[in-house]
Amino acid sequence: MRSMDTLNPPDDATEITAFWTWMGKDGICRTKTKPLAVITLKEAMENSVAVTSFYKDKKFPLLIDARNIKYMEREARKHFSTNGRETKINSFAIMVKSPLSRMIGNFFMGLNKPAIPARLFDDENEAVKWLKQHL
Amino acid sequence: MPLSASNLSDHHKERVDRILEVVMAYAQLDFTKKTEVLGNEDVLDAIGAGINMLGEELENSTVSLKEKEQLLKEVHHRVKNNLQIVSSLLNLQSDNVLDEKYLAMIKDSRNRINSMAIVHEMLYASRDLSRIEISEYIQRLCNSVHQSFSRPGSDIRFRFEIEKDLYFEVDHMIPIGLIVNEIISNSFKYAFPKDKGEIKISLKRQDKIFSLGIEDNGIGLSESFNPEKDGHLGMQLIQMLSEQMEASIDIQRNNGTAYRIIFKD
Repeated sequence: MRSMDTLNPPDDATEITAFWTWMGKDGICRTKTKPLAVITLKEAMENSVAVTSFYKDKKFPLLIDARNIKYMEREARKHFSTNGRETKINSFAIMVKSPLSRMIGNFFMGLNKPAIPARLFDDENEAVKWLKQHL
Repeated sequence: MPLSASNLSDHHKERVDRILEVVMAYAQLDFTKKTEVLGNEDVLDAIGAGINMLGEELENSTVSLKEKEQLLKEVHHRVKNNLQIVSSLLNLQSDNVLDEKYLAMIKDSRNRINSMAIVHEMLYASRDLSRIEISEYIQRLCNSVHQSFSRPGSDIRFRFEIEKDLYFEVDHMIPIGLIVNEIISNSFKYAFPKDKGEIKISLKRQDKIFSLGIEDNGIGLSESFNPEKDGHLGMQLIQMLSEQMEASIDIQRNNGTAYRIIFKD
């Protein structure tokens, strides 16, 4: 199967300090880190506000493209784990590719134990297929 | 090609050295350093980021541990202060009491409270917040009891034969302290009508068995005295606390009174 590419931000994507965020036609929200983005708690919270803005009446899955990430600080990792806070997403998949993004992704998953279903992927088709279970 | 020092470029060698410096700093609990993440697609960037994240987690755990230690210290400090307040209240109460019998009861209660307050005072001051060294504790306890019973001209001395560097947790130290307090208080009260004598306290360890000896060279308990039947509150406490510690207790009456308490760690 040809690899899909639904991770190019459309013109109407919400642009914040370190991310572009938009709702896909398939009902899966997407958020993409900007090249060499350093995510502190501030950027993480900005991202949550942007993602939550797509909520209407039903929680939705989120696809995070972290392939260009440079670093994510501890407080941001804690925030993204969704432990102890209300969130409008019901699951998330993180796209990783480079050794750096793999390290950050695996560290996050291993230590921060997200409160909702979450997985790492290096294949977008697989990530979308998995997230569709949570639509 | 395998990654070895010989085929690393100077630039990579420098980066590896810098990463090692940060690892060594973290090993010494210095979390001010971070490895440089250049944003390259290489493995060194990934290792550097991993070490930085590990440092953040370690720093957080270390801070939490220090906060918990501080909190525990505060608890011991407050327990000690509260016990001293109770002791002072009893002291104030005794100012209005003329009956010798009640005054003696108040003094006994104060000594019991002090035996526990010393444990918390020592725990508060110790680096290890859960255990204290028994030799120092018993000597401080004996000093405190001695002061409460001291009378002008009295010559009652202590002799200690306690192994050094024996540490006990608070759960063990409180009953041990109360038992020692009761026994030496009895010696002060009944053993030395001429206010002259010696109280010897010994503690020996053999593997996991401890033998605590408390003996005086006073007039001794009468032959007809049965601690289980004739005992006052102090004796009842000794029995009860020994049972709590699953300790055996033996009383000898040769040239004074000697207690031998055997217990496990």
